[in-house]
Amino acid sequence: MRLRRLLVGIFLVSTVATLGLGGPKLIIAGRDGVYGAAMQLAVDLYKAEHPDVDIELLKLPYSGLYEKLVIDFREAIGAYDVVLLDDVWATEFMSLGWLANLEALGFTAEADFVGKALAVGRYPYAQGALYAVPHVGNVELFAYRKDLFDKYGLPEPKSWLEVLGAAALIERYEPGIKGIVFRGKKGNPIVTGFLPIFWSFGAEILDVDGRPTLNSPQAVAALKFFLAMKAFAPTGVEIYDSSELRDALQGGTVAIATEVWPAWVPALDDPAKSKVVGQVEIIPHPGLVAESSPVIGIWLLAIPTASKNKATALDFLRFVSSPAVQKKLALEVGLPPTRVSVYQDPEVVAKYRWYPAQLAALDASRPRPRVPEWAQIEGVLGDYLQLALVGSMPPEEALAAAQARVEEILR
Amino acid sequence: MTRSSARRAPFHERYFHYLILIPALLIMIALTVYPVINVVQLSFYRYSYARGEKAFIGLENYYRLASDRFFLKGLSNTFQFTALATVAELALGLGLALLFNTKFRGRRWLLPLVIFPMMLSTMVVCAVWGAMYHYDYGIINHVLRAVGLSPVRWLFDPNLALQSLVLIDLWQWTPMVFLILLAGLQSIPAEIYEAGRVDGASGFRLFRHMTLPLIKRHFLLAVLLRIIDTFKIFDKVYALTGGGPGDATETISLYIYREGFRYFNLGRAAAAAVVMLIAVILISAVYVRQVIRGHA
Repeated sequence: MRLRRLLVGIFLVSTVATLGLGGPKLIIAGRDGVYGAAMQLAVDLYKAEHPDVDIELLKLPYSGLYEKLVIDFREAIGAYDVVLLDDVWATEFMSLGWLANLEALGFTAEADFVGKALAVGRYPYAQGALYAVPHVGNVELFAYRKDLFDKYGLPEPKSWLEVLGAAALIERYEPGIKGIVFRGKKGNPIVTGFLPIFWSFGAEILDVDGRPTLNSPQAVAALKFFLAMKAFAPTGVEIYDSSELRDALQGGTVAIATEVWPAWVPALDDPAKSKVVGQVEIIPHPGLVAESSPVIGIWLLAIPTASKNKATALDFLRFVSSPAVQKKLALEVGLPPTRVSVYQDPEVVAKYRWYPAQLAALDASRPRPRVPEWAQIEGVLGDYLQLALVGSMPPEEALAAAQARVEEILR
Repeated sequence: MTRSSARRAPFHERYFHYLILIPALLIMIALTVYPVINVVQLSFYRYSYARGEKAFIGLENYYRLASDRFFLKGLSNTFQFTALATVAELALGLGLALLFNTKFRGRRWLLPLVIFPMMLSTMVVCAVWGAMYHYDYGIINHVLRAVGLSPVRWLFDPNLALQSLVLIDLWQWTPMVFLILLAGLQSIPAEIYEAGRVDGASGFRLFRHMTLPLIKRHFLLAVLLRIIDTFKIFDKVYALTGGGPGDATETISLYIYREGFRYFNLGRAAAAAVVMLIAVILISAVYVRQVIRGHA
């Protein structure tokens, strides 16, 4: 008798859970670290307003997130209702029909969103339907030690040649300080570090017809310049990733960082973490042949086509991308916003002095090529750039080999 | 009639030993044989998993591998890593086993310390060694500087990065070799050594002609296990170097992972996996032959 009651109880509980009688449930595939903390805050705020909605937030590491999403989308499993994705994956996901058309679901993108940030969530790029809402207003920035530049009478660098000159000068006269630092680790880090230089030399990864142009004279000149910077970089820059670059900048052992991301910047002014509080100036990248060309790296929020809770997911997206929540996430967690009004908010600017420069960088930014094969192209380019960086291949040969591989990928 | 029944046992008794093998056989077919056949089949296709495009291309994946710098380097690095790590671990493991096969003060306290590294997660081991190898702040370079030597570019010198990974593997997995060989040494009856000494053998001759032959099977087992494990090297490379600097620490496993799970080129990844499988089978065949000979 008791056993029968127990079985009936289990059946009822499982039926209620299956039918979702406990209210809608959202499963969010998010990131760890600062992005995870920001999303947790957003979830808490949303749940305070919607106590009936059950939300499970998965704080996943960057490594492996792409693979998880691809498998879930490809198999139409529908394990996630809201996903946080890097804009470099967006074109592939959108072109394969894996993300829901948000405008068709009822989402309206206001003009307040930073134009370049919103453009990467559309397919085709900038013109098509909206499949993803910009959540993290990431853009690659440039950092230099203003105190050292002032000491040697150096102006704010406007071109890459000035950058190299300043790095050489400071390294020569400042013991214990290296001229410049960048991410040299193979794969995404070295490509991201190289692209602002590559573009400012007038080089392009793909031409207007979508054909690779990695071995153009401009590209070779850019790579030679990149390799010239290594002479003033810390020993071991070949394996430098985010943490090493941040350590060097915060530790005051480098004069220039060619790559800084908004989420890293608050620590520079935190006395508990930084030896260079108030001494680092954050600006958009210098240019050369072309204008300043920082890389945009937006993290987007989207609803998978296979999601079973699209209505609730859409409501959550509206909430988390609203100016009020964006401002709260910026002030409390330091999440870079994607709305112009938040960048111009006096309270926000008072806390983050570099936000005007960040907005300028976003406006000047360029996205990585909007082709579904970008993940593979980036991997190949990263492999050969590193071979050039460690001296295993001359720059011309490395770019020619990368060109051949990318041609094969796009064939 | 009665004689015939006695000669001919019922079906289930006659084939009982085959019947009890069936469940294990089915599991093996489902989890090993089928995936292997599937991978071999996939290796003849251009298969983009993400796009769902699949086309038969014969041996093209294999031709591409034969001219792919990163695959060839990965193959060469994998063999190099396997040879270096296995030989070093066997030598050190044997030395430790011989030492711990004798009685000395503090033995019971030292034994757990020696086997401690193999109980740690590889990711933890990588985090610790990554910090120790750091050029500027690592303890190893700190000690080198303190004694007046130049710091070493452990993980970013293309000529040294692979050996630096071997050193970590040596630290982590020598204890396993040590335990296998110690078990072998402790299974040798003391009388055999006494007999050897009576016949005038001592020191190295005793070791060469008695100890080594008697622990041969343990030795071969340790060789096989370490070769198979080191041939799959992935975690340390993934966590510490990502295959760099350049292609200095590329391995076959990393190549398969990148092609299969980063780019989702399942055909190319399958072809690389088949090459790896053939290499492992060839290596294991040597061991299996030795074992069969031993039983014969």
